[in-house]
Amino acid sequence: MRIVRDTHIDFMSKTFIAGCLSALLIIIGAASLIINGGPKLSIDFKGGTMVAVNFTEPVDINKIRSALAEVSIDGQNFDFSTEEIKHFGDETNVAIRIASLDNEPPRFANRVAEKLATVYPELLPEERTDFILSIDKVGPKVGAELSGDAILAMLYALGFILVYISIRFEFKYAVGAIAALTHDVLITLGVFSVLGYEISLAVIAAFLTIVGYSLNDTIVIFDRVRENVKALKGASMESVINQSINESLSRTIITSLTTFLVVLILFLVGGEVIHTFSFAMIVGVIIGTYSSIFVASPVVIKMDKTS
Amino acid sequence: MQKSLTPRYLIIGIILAWAIYALQPTWEYENMSEEKKEELRTSGELEKTESRIIRQGLDLKGGMYIVLEADIPMLVSNLASIKDDRLENLINDAKDRSSGQNQDFFSVFEENVKTDGIKLSRYYHEYGASLEQIMTALNDEADDAINRVLEILQNRVDQFGVSEPTIQKQGNHRIVVELAGIQDSERARALLQSTALLEFYLVKNIAVTNEVITQLDNALKGDETLASTLKQDTKKTDESNKDDGSTTVSELFGDTETIVDESTEKENTVDDIFLEAPFSGLLSAIPGDMGIEEKNLYAFKKLLDREEVRSTLENANGQFLLSQQSEAVVTNAPEKYYRLYYLEKRPELTGGIVDEARADLGSLGGGSAGQPVVSLAMNSEGSRTWSRVTGANVGERIAIVLDQKVHMAPSIREKIPGGRTQIEGFADLNEAKDLAIILRAGALPAPVNIIEERIVGPSLGADSISQGTQAVLIGLASVLLFMLVYYKLAGTVADFALIWNILLVLAVLASLQATLTLPGIAGLILTVGMSIDANVIIFERIREELRKGKTPKAAIDSGYDRALTTIIDANVTTLIASLVLYQFGTGPIKGFATVLFWGILISMFTAVFITRTIFNAYVSNRTLTKLSI
Repeated sequence: MRIVRDTHIDFMSKTFIAGCLSALLIIIGAASLIINGGPKLSIDFKGGTMVAVNFTEPVDINKIRSALAEVSIDGQNFDFSTEEIKHFGDETNVAIRIASLDNEPPRFANRVAEKLATVYPELLPEERTDFILSIDKVGPKVGAELSGDAILAMLYALGFILVYISIRFEFKYAVGAIAALTHDVLITLGVFSVLGYEISLAVIAAFLTIVGYSLNDTIVIFDRVRENVKALKGASMESVINQSINESLSRTIITSLTTFLVVLILFLVGGEVIHTFSFAMIVGVIIGTYSSIFVASPVVIKMDKTS
Repeated sequence: MQKSLTPRYLIIGIILAWAIYALQPTWEYENMSEEKKEELRTSGELEKTESRIIRQGLDLKGGMYIVLEADIPMLVSNLASIKDDRLENLINDAKDRSSGQNQDFFSVFEENVKTDGIKLSRYYHEYGASLEQIMTALNDEADDAINRVLEILQNRVDQFGVSEPTIQKQGNHRIVVELAGIQDSERARALLQSTALLEFYLVKNIAVTNEVITQLDNALKGDETLASTLKQDTKKTDESNKDDGSTTVSELFGDTETIVDESTEKENTVDDIFLEAPFSGLLSAIPGDMGIEEKNLYAFKKLLDREEVRSTLENANGQFLLSQQSEAVVTNAPEKYYRLYYLEKRPELTGGIVDEARADLGSLGGGSAGQPVVSLAMNSEGSRTWSRVTGANVGERIAIVLDQKVHMAPSIREKIPGGRTQIEGFADLNEAKDLAIILRAGALPAPVNIIEERIVGPSLGADSISQGTQAVLIGLASVLLFMLVYYKLAGTVADFALIWNILLVLAVLASLQATLTLPGIAGLILTVGMSIDANVIIFERIREELRKGKTPKAAIDSGYDRALTTIIDANVTTLIASLVLYQFGTGPIKGFATVLFWGILISMFTAVFITRTIFNAYVSNRTLTKLSI
């Protein structure tokens, strides 16, 4: 069985259209990021409290929202109705996210959970300990440190990879690869911003994996290019790259397909906790495959011409 | 060919045998019944098995993860032999600036001291004369303190009885505690965070107390803004706020939570009581003591924090402390009150005088019959002071205070010579037991704050395991099926290698005692998708070579040879990404990075080495004209 027969597609002639498409996607993402004042960060980076609870039957978010408009904890009044309250996984679960407070009363997260329990007292699980699904509390200082670490991690990964590819290939290939994966991360970030998904630690892990995956794909093509440059002495860089992409096209499609398949399954059945992680991976696999052909390769041609 | 294959068989055989050996305890453990586990646990054999199985992360097992940070600024302030506002301001400023800019507290503090020109030796003469000496000494004190905190917390957790707790230092001033399978997170949190500073204060008599309250009322009287704020803070919550954005209260206390609706009719008539007697207006009379109603607690604490109140109390040499928990004064009444005590500024007896602490139910005949109590035995120094203090103050009340909360304030009936006493005032026996643990383990040299806390309930953890396993199985099955259909016989070989890839990753996890987290499971799925790539690259190459008219044997040889560099180059970059992730990630993310790293590394062995061996064996003994690929 073969999906792709011998192909002779002139990929590099489509560079302009692809460039426009990429630019458009990046601009939309950037516009969304500017309008929203930067990416939507989870409490991992911003600090705050997130409480997820579990009722025995589907509940109404609006009823919970209005019940949380007036909460008194030790005489201190809070209005949580403007905080983010949403279903967590399915409709029986509810998650509330509260920004860091300066004068947080003791046992704050548990008090919020207790308040949530009073909204639907008849729908509580039999075991009291089953009510709270999870509590996450991150102090603002830790949040700031984690975001610093995450940015640093991305930069380190990019730096090491640049060095490795420069050693194994040539510098122009390294530039092409870095351009491709910066493109991938920017677009994924934009997609997250447009859809209003938040960036958590797990999403950063997904970003770094996208970096790894996108490179994997790019390098397989570059490897072919390196081989063909020797084999086809005198041919233009465009035609060498075109031939290389065509030769490795069936591999590109099959691997992208299997990887896409598994992350899609993870997205569908993996559960709420890694939902955004698997979503980032889905976007990353698609964009990563596209960018190896339409971003990394044209950049190498460009670099080749200028040198 | 046959000759060169033998060492390959040997290597593969040894590695596969090792994998089975490494995974066997996990397999056995997962299939063991609860009764059998219990039986082995009592005989002590279970630990041996448990040390060789794949450990599940807190996000799968349920449990709590807490990061505590020692309050170093507070420690530095406590170490000063004299205290004044100038030093306090420098410390507080250094605290704010160091946490805002992510800098070391001590370097900011030293800078502050230099700019201010304050003489530190005035405050820390025991620690040296020069600034350098004092800074070094304070730094040492902080290091020493965090190590003692670590030891004490270890002690507390050990006595609390959780299986496999981990308590580790992180950086200079932080401690990470992981408690698996904890059901009562609040109890565990209280146990960890309690400073366990036990103090005994004399309660000031009623006449003195009344006098200071009058003074406070006079100091605060006539402030209309304060009066309306108090009214706002103490009003019943059923008068709903209208969110019109006006926030006059915030101007006074920097409080952004409360929203005042100026247009509400009631707001215009300021309660006389809060104008005339702001302080006593918050107090209620309850049997035996003064009380603060629960709903007034926040307003009262803000009041205590005001400058006028602080200076008045400073001059009067006294302090107000609240009881540890609120209680209903009338049985079944909805209103609950905290007891309020006016105490001497200095404790009569403090800190490490506890020799032994035990939780019990109060003996019959006493006032605490059937109630949970903690019985204390003091050391000789404590006993002497205790007997002197009780002897000199018969008829007075003495408050037993733990971490700034009054547990009880009994009247002293007679001199107590033996250094024994009992603490009452617990919600249940567990709370008394925890206090006994805390007192036995000793007080923390510096207070600790929880700066990060993650709790996963048992039901969410169980869901994550089942959903994660399901995703792995479905993902694996679909990739296996795809390879089988697309590459036929060669696909079967790749499938065989892929299954071994997964098993080897699990075997490595088991023998490294690594922790499998939910992101780790995701990493496993990703490994399935990505590690098949090596075989796809090889097979596509072989097909290409076959199309060029090579024999199956030659096609396999050149296919593998030419694909190898591609596979290595492509995988090294993913390995770099996973190493960086491991270095920077915490908890669950580390789990993901570990699995991804080993998954990719092992895939190079299984997808290249194992499949090659199988192909070689397949083609070596016969002359093939066609290859099923």
